[in-house]
Amino acid sequence: MDCAKSLELLSEYRAGGLAETESVFVRTHLTACKDCNGVFEELDLIIQAAHSLRNQNGIAYPDENAIWQRLPLGKSIIH
Amino acid sequence: MTVAEVEKPQGPSDFELAKSSAAGDTSAFEELYHRHFRRVYALCLRMMGNPTEAEDMTQDVFVQLFNKIGMFRGESAFTTWLHRMTVNQVLMHFRKKSTRSELLTDEGETPIQIVQGTANPNSMPVVDRIGLEKALKALPVGYRTVFVLHDIEGYEHYEIAGMLGIAEGTSKSQLHKARLKLRQLIRQQAASK
Repeated sequence: MDCAKSLELLSEYRAGGLAETESVFVRTHLTACKDCNGVFEELDLIIQAAHSLRNQNGIAYPDENAIWQRLPLGKSIIH
Repeated sequence: MTVAEVEKPQGPSDFELAKSSAAGDTSAFEELYHRHFRRVYALCLRMMGNPTEAEDMTQDVFVQLFNKIGMFRGESAFTTWLHRMTVNQVLMHFRKKSTRSELLTDEGETPIQIVQGTANPNSMPVVDRIGLEKALKALPVGYRTVFVLHDIEGYEHYEIAGMLGIAEGTSKSQLHKARLKLRQLIRQQAASK
C-alpha cells in the first residue's frame, strides 16, 4: 500500500510540490524501501537525460536547403 | 527597449530580420530560416517521433512564420515566439488527427508491479540520449507531448495546461505516467539486446 502511494507521488516529490506531510511520507518510505528508491533514482536519470536533450545535438537533420527550396512561399522568395 | 531588441547576435538581430521580412525582404526571411531551422525541426521530431512527419511539419511552421512574421512585435525573444508557434502547430496537427481526449494518454492507474525488480542496481541500463530518444518514439502521443514540453523544453505545467486545454493536475499526472512508461520502455530495450 505504501509503495503504491509513494509511486504515485514520486514526480511531485522530486519537484518539491508536495505538502509537508506527504513529503515526509515519501522521504521516509524511500529510506525504507529499496524498490521504490530504485524507481525514484531511475526516474531522476531519465529526467537528467531529458534535460541533456534540450540542445539539438545528436539528431540526424534533413537537408535544410532542400526543404527551403520546397517551401511554398511564392516564387518571389525562392532563389 | 524590448527583449528582442536587447538580444543582439552577430549581424542583424532576429527582430531586425523579422521586421525586414515583414517589409518584403526575402533574404532576411531566408536568414531567419537558416538560423532557426534546426531548433524547429528538433522540436517537431521530438513531439512527433517520426522524421518524415517532422520534416513536413517544419515546412508548415516556416510557411506559418512567413505568413505571420508581421505579427512579431518584439515583446518576447524571437526564439520564444517561434518555439510557441511550433508547439501550437504540432498540437493543431494532433487535434486534426484525433479527438481532444485522445491528446491525453490514459493507461489507467500506475501499476504497482512497476516497482518490482528494481532493487538490483544493475537492472536499469544507463539512460543515454540515444536510448531515451528511441524510447520517446515508442511513447503514446499524449505522454510524449507532455514529457517533451516539460522535461525537454522546460515549459511549466500551467503553460502546458493552457496549450493543451487541460487542468494543471492532469499535466502533472500525464508527466509522471510518461516518465514511468519511459522507464519501462528503456528497460525493455535493454532486455531485448
